[in-house]
Amino acid sequence: MNRVWSRIKNWLIAMGSPPHFYRWATSSLPWLAGLAVIVFCAGLIWGLGFSPTDYKQGDVYRIIYIHVPSAILAESIYIFMAISGFISMVWRAKIAGMLINSAAPLGAGFTLIALLTGSIWGKTTWGTWWVWDARLTSTLIMFFLYAAIIGLHSSIENKTKGDRAVSILAVLGVVIVPIIKKSVDWWQTLHQPSTFTLTSSPSMSPDMYLPLLVCVLGFYCLFIFMLTNGLRAEIISRERDKSWVKKQFFKY
Amino acid sequence: MTNRDSTLDWFMLVLRRDLTLSFRRSATYITPLIFFLIVVTFFPLALGPSQSLLSSMAAGIIWISALLSSLLAVEGIFSEDFRDGTLDQYFVSSEPVFVLIFAKVLCHWLVCGAPIILASVLSSVFLYLPSGVLFALIISLLLGTLFMSLLGALGAALSLGRSAILSAIIVLPFSIPTLLMGTAIMSAAINQQDYSGFISIMGAMLAIGIPGLCLLTVEAILLNYE
Repeated sequence: MNRVWSRIKNWLIAMGSPPHFYRWATSSLPWLAGLAVIVFCAGLIWGLGFSPTDYKQGDVYRIIYIHVPSAILAESIYIFMAISGFISMVWRAKIAGMLINSAAPLGAGFTLIALLTGSIWGKTTWGTWWVWDARLTSTLIMFFLYAAIIGLHSSIENKTKGDRAVSILAVLGVVIVPIIKKSVDWWQTLHQPSTFTLTSSPSMSPDMYLPLLVCVLGFYCLFIFMLTNGLRAEIISRERDKSWVKKQFFKY
Repeated sequence: MTNRDSTLDWFMLVLRRDLTLSFRRSATYITPLIFFLIVVTFFPLALGPSQSLLSSMAAGIIWISALLSSLLAVEGIFSEDFRDGTLDQYFVSSEPVFVLIFAKVLCHWLVCGAPIILASVLSSVFLYLPSGVLFALIISLLLGTLFMSLLGALGAALSLGRSAILSAIIVLPFSIPTLLMGTAIMSAAINQQDYSGFISIMGAMLAIGIPGLCLLTVEAILLNYE
């Protein structure tokens, strides 16, 4: 047990060094890409093509196979960023700082997809593009938080400094996101009872639920693939003056 | 100062120094006040002078204006001390820096927050705020503007030497719980319900926020020394 633990620790420490991570990413990227394509396509084809039609909503409900995974990712990417922010604040690991920088645009993108698909779904089932429902509102706020992080990072010229500034925001965010969610819930119940709830439908049948699960997994794989790919580019652009990059690309 | 001086003495020293500096320059406490009154005046101009409409929106309008003006006011809190080296002295002193930072924020709140709260009493007349909720307005703004000053100080530290709008973008999403709690207090007071629970939550947020945000602010200021 102890040996396994120390091997994991050594592996993590090794991963913190940019050249090592770069080599790992280069060799595992095809596998990640293949896995992402297979799971993502399988989930989408199963969900969009073969799962049964909903008796009440018809085929419109199939947007759930895009909407729910991206909403789940929007939140988990934020938590992921906060963890990397904490690591970069405490241990000053270079990779952790770069991770926030590459994950933030992805998180903002998934949040935007969740908002857009949700609003299209809402138009067809509720008859309106937008309601000030607690969940919609907190997702919108989530998008603003991502925008704040991206804006702050892009305004700071020194990238390493920007990483640390952003990690402060990410750590503050993970404390405040639950508070935002809770307070938005209260705000909603205070002002008016929620007209529509997303959770009131009866529990889904397995042949609708399983494809959704595969879709969520597929979105996660896609995220990991895109993150690794983005991180590779980030490493090269930041370390372009280092000798290992020159050796790798120019053979001198 | 001798070695026997406690952290509290340093805290009071920084507070006194900042208060003196602020009162020497009337702009520090007049500007947020005028900004607050102008923003409040804009709402009736934009929405129309209907008494019932304004009365139902008064609490929200006052809260948004107070948030914006205390945020804008705190924007330059560190820039001068950073430029003339006073902040450097904080870091080389052996005292915990976040206590000294808190003294700065507290001074700022006393100088800018208090006039805004006074002006909010005036604007509650402008906006036909229902009578009997003045106490709730004052107490919610007291807690809320202090939290905004703390958040704004973090934003100011992160965007030191950059545009003010960046600081606003950073801070505003994080100020949403304060805004919601404050307006929850107000709507509970207008409906004559008990609002002590919301006040407790705001107090709890402050209790965590004062040390937490001051520590993060110190971390953010340190970024500028690299």
